Amino acid sequence: MIRIAAVGDVHVDKDVVGRYRPALEELPDRADTLLIAGDLTRHGTVDEAKCFATEFGGLGVPVVVVLGNHDHQSDQQDDVTKVIEDAGITVLEGSATVLELNGHRLGVAGTKGFGGGFAGACASNFGEREMKDFVGTAERYAEDLERALKSVECDALVALTHYAPVPETLVGEPLEIYAFLGCYQLGRSIDAAGAALALHGHAHAGSERGRTPGGVPVRNVAHPVIKQAYNVYQLLSEEVDTTLVGAR
Amino acid sequence: MTNDTDLEAEIQRLLTEHDRIAEQGITVQRRDHLIVLGGEVESAQRRDEICRQISSHFPELEITCDIGITRAQAPSEVEEIS
Repeated sequence: MIRIAAVGDVHVDKDVVGRYRPALEELPDRADTLLIAGDLTRHGTVDEAKCFATEFGGLGVPVVVVLGNHDHQSDQQDDVTKVIEDAGITVLEGSATVLELNGHRLGVAGTKGFGGGFAGACASNFGEREMKDFVGTAERYAEDLERALKSVECDALVALTHYAPVPETLVGEPLEIYAFLGCYQLGRSIDAAGAALALHGHAHAGSERGRTPGGVPVRNVAHPVIKQAYNVYQLLSEEVDTTLVGAR
Repeated sequence: MTNDTDLEAEIQRLLTEHDRIAEQGITVQRRDHLIVLGGEVESAQRRDEICRQISSHFPELEITCDIGITRAQAPSEVEEIS
């Protein structure tokens, strides 16, 4: 059995340091790892990254993250990544890691992803250079995710993105902005690799549960959606146990 | 002055692009004589800054704030994925 804690869109800055920590201190009793689905900071500055590292570092379980669009706002994403990695946190972008947990190998592949829309309402690689750049960017992130997912050998595989791979977990958001919240190419990559679970954030007003066209469970773990410090998902269960150890 | 048609767009862009706010998840709804703000943010300071900036940029508006602070307690349940 592996228990995965997950949250996204924590948007840490000085005013948030300490808010998550009481729940995070309990995390090792409740889960084997923590995955964070992007938007770690407000504006993507080095100072904010240090605040994130302070809040989410040194937990006693492996922490794996992807960046989100907010983490790119100041064009300092490389410096932000370094600060977070220096705190012992793994940052994925078109890459993967394997965690040895409870005798199992958990593979996690991640990317920020990008927008573009979904079947029936998606952007096409056509016309102005700006539009082709937009769609080409989405395709590149999806291709990198698929390559990363297929690169690992493990007992269970999780896809971690910031942008959504399916429209079902966007329900609650205005239809007009779906194309800025995710793209179908991410879902196609997840199906091609056969993941056990896909986690994303970004859609604060979206819904928690969906599935890819190929049937992979998708969970939107944006903090305003789950409304707690993190959710916990159980994979590779020997038996179903929905009570958390240490829960009060 | 911003016309009525563009008001929501102007407020949404202010909340996203202002360097002390950067919030994309705030809803703006019109009532008869006021604007209702909704959604959730990570701290009371962020909620108060949103209201302060809107009042400063659009002094003619009456606003009411239903923005909540997202809870950050530990979970009590686990979901089995199958």
